[in-house]
Amino acid sequence: MEEYDVTIIGAGIAGTSIARELSKYKINAIVIDKNNDIALEMTSTNMALVCQGGDSLTFRPGTLHAELNIKSIPLWPKLTEELGVPFKRIGGLGLIRNKSDYMKFLKMYTRAFRSSLRRDAPYYISENEFKPLQFLDRKSLKDLEPYISSKVLGALYDPNLSVTDPIKLAKALAENARANGIEFLLGNEIKSIEKNKDYFIVNTSKNSIKTKFVINATGINVDKIAEMVKARDFTYVPVKGILTDFDEETTELFSHQAFYLPRLGDPHVRAVVPIISGGLRVGIYLDFVMRTDKSLPSQGLRHNLNVIGDIIPGYPFRKHIKRTFFGIMPLTNAETGWHDFIVDIPNYVPRWINVVLGPAGVSSAPMLGKKVVDLLMMSGVHLEPKPNFNPSTKRGVGNE
Amino acid sequence: MSRVPNKVTLSIALKIINAMIRFAKDNEMLPGSYAVVDEGGHVIAFERRDGAPAATADIAIDKAWTAVTMKASGRILEVITRGQGWRLNVKHKGRLTIIPGAIPIIAHGRIIGGVGHSGGSAEDDLKIAQAGWAAIFREDDFESEVEERLSMARKLSKEIIKYVTDKSLRPVSVAIVDEWGEPLLLYRMDRAPFGTLELARDKAWTASAFRSFSENALVFYGEKVSTTNWNERVLPVPGGVALEYNKEFVGGIGIAGNEPEKDKEIIVEVIKKLDFQAIT
Repeated sequence: MEEYDVTIIGAGIAGTSIARELSKYKINAIVIDKNNDIALEMTSTNMALVCQGGDSLTFRPGTLHAELNIKSIPLWPKLTEELGVPFKRIGGLGLIRNKSDYMKFLKMYTRAFRSSLRRDAPYYISENEFKPLQFLDRKSLKDLEPYISSKVLGALYDPNLSVTDPIKLAKALAENARANGIEFLLGNEIKSIEKNKDYFIVNTSKNSIKTKFVINATGINVDKIAEMVKARDFTYVPVKGILTDFDEETTELFSHQAFYLPRLGDPHVRAVVPIISGGLRVGIYLDFVMRTDKSLPSQGLRHNLNVIGDIIPGYPFRKHIKRTFFGIMPLTNAETGWHDFIVDIPNYVPRWINVVLGPAGVSSAPMLGKKVVDLLMMSGVHLEPKPNFNPSTKRGVGNE
Repeated sequence: MSRVPNKVTLSIALKIINAMIRFAKDNEMLPGSYAVVDEGGHVIAFERRDGAPAATADIAIDKAWTAVTMKASGRILEVITRGQGWRLNVKHKGRLTIIPGAIPIIAHGRIIGGVGHSGGSAEDDLKIAQAGWAAIFREDDFESEVEERLSMARKLSKEIIKYVTDKSLRPVSVAIVDEWGEPLLLYRMDRAPFGTLELARDKAWTASAFRSFSENALVFYGEKVSTTNWNERVLPVPGGVALEYNKEFVGGIGIAGNEPEKDKEIIVEVIKKLDFQAIT
């Protein structure tokens, strides 16, 4: 039986960014995934936003959600440059239709200032890494986005918001981790895990692995894997988000990310993002579902067409639909809407780390790896930096 | 592929309770009371584990009721009332329980029921109740082993439900209480009117309190018992039985749903199979 210090279960954006961070140290680690390739689940079905500058500053301070996202902001440009992954600052617009929207954005602006922009703030970001947010009036907004609806009176503008390709990023992270000595075992579904005093035995569909530490980053199935060793001390609800991509001809219509604030009694997200490969991505119609739910209800597309028609009226978007697809993500505290990440060691299962991300998970990837390394060090893993770590080399992963 | 339920049935309520018990045991939390109510706030299933304080029973039920009738989680109510929610207790005979651990069951964009847990810290109660709600989004079942007394109560109530179904009788509510009249288990079969659950609980209480068939409360202790209002739970109607196991008084059971005499007959028939004796 093969022996490892650390086993990472799940090769999505979470698993690969943890693997890449671990590859900077002298450690014997492996990544296992049930699929034959990297990033086939949650990582491939989201808004593809990263470095959610102003957005993340408005996450409730004190949550891990805010901490990981805000601390990731300065790390993004360097990470994507090292790995040769596309990364583009597009800027974000919080659209204002009335005074109530304005007051809410003003509140967020203040919160952002208190949590990150002031010099003594808990997650301070220096000025050269973060351009200041600003309110735009109708005229300056029209200059930025000429086709925007005349119902929009202004916007909260965040110049820092960026997009990337999360699939390319996860692959690059994995390939770089592999080049630096992390092993990958794909096409292996976890069947059972035995908990022993000093080690775990991880039984997959094809192999058995003895490991001292387990990092459970299995996306929507984190709870099921954790239950195998009684390590589930959290709960989430699977939420399905339906998104629509519009073809490349729509690229020139809109160049910023833009969103409306949610309305009372309407939980769905109303946002548009110009994705890095061209075209607009619009969504998100949300619904609580079973995690195996593969259906694509027509309300999803209808909602997304309404959203884009609301932001850019008068364009025949119906004729430019490229695809409508869904992603399923875990939402914690779903009954209150106060989502938070979980990256923690359960109370009664040492040497085990659960990772639950959900919305804004991709954005937090650079800091997530560091957070997990911290937790491992706190648990007594001896991590010695590797002198020959190369941040850019790559070696292919994935089964033939 | 299974779909998210749009109604809380007894079997879904039991799945929710099993998920909560499993979560509590996995995380070594204190035993407590677990309640699931329908969209009107009326109990569908309730269980109290061995060792859980008796007072947690009504707290769990009232938490679930609060989540449904206020259409919000206890955690939200706590925040929007700025921690002063207890002041609202003067309303609704003190039933409003604005404490974390009260969660509405949201499915298909609306509230179809509520979950309540009481027995731990506010944080634990919240986590356990969340684990209960999330169970309706799981395909797999949660088998949970429970302690001796509750598992006996479960066995007894399952036999009653089986008997009622086999004989095609009207659906019933089952209540099982301990020797002090405090509920251990309350189940309401699908299509049993919600009022039957309170009747069953009162019958079980009456049987336990007077250690006899519930209707005998009047016979032995005088006709005024039912009219003096000293205790609103006294219900001297057939359908409540005090139980002995190994010649020891263990509690009471009450059911309601059919004609009172029929209810009594069901219990008497079923307890024979499980080695319980009725105290006459």
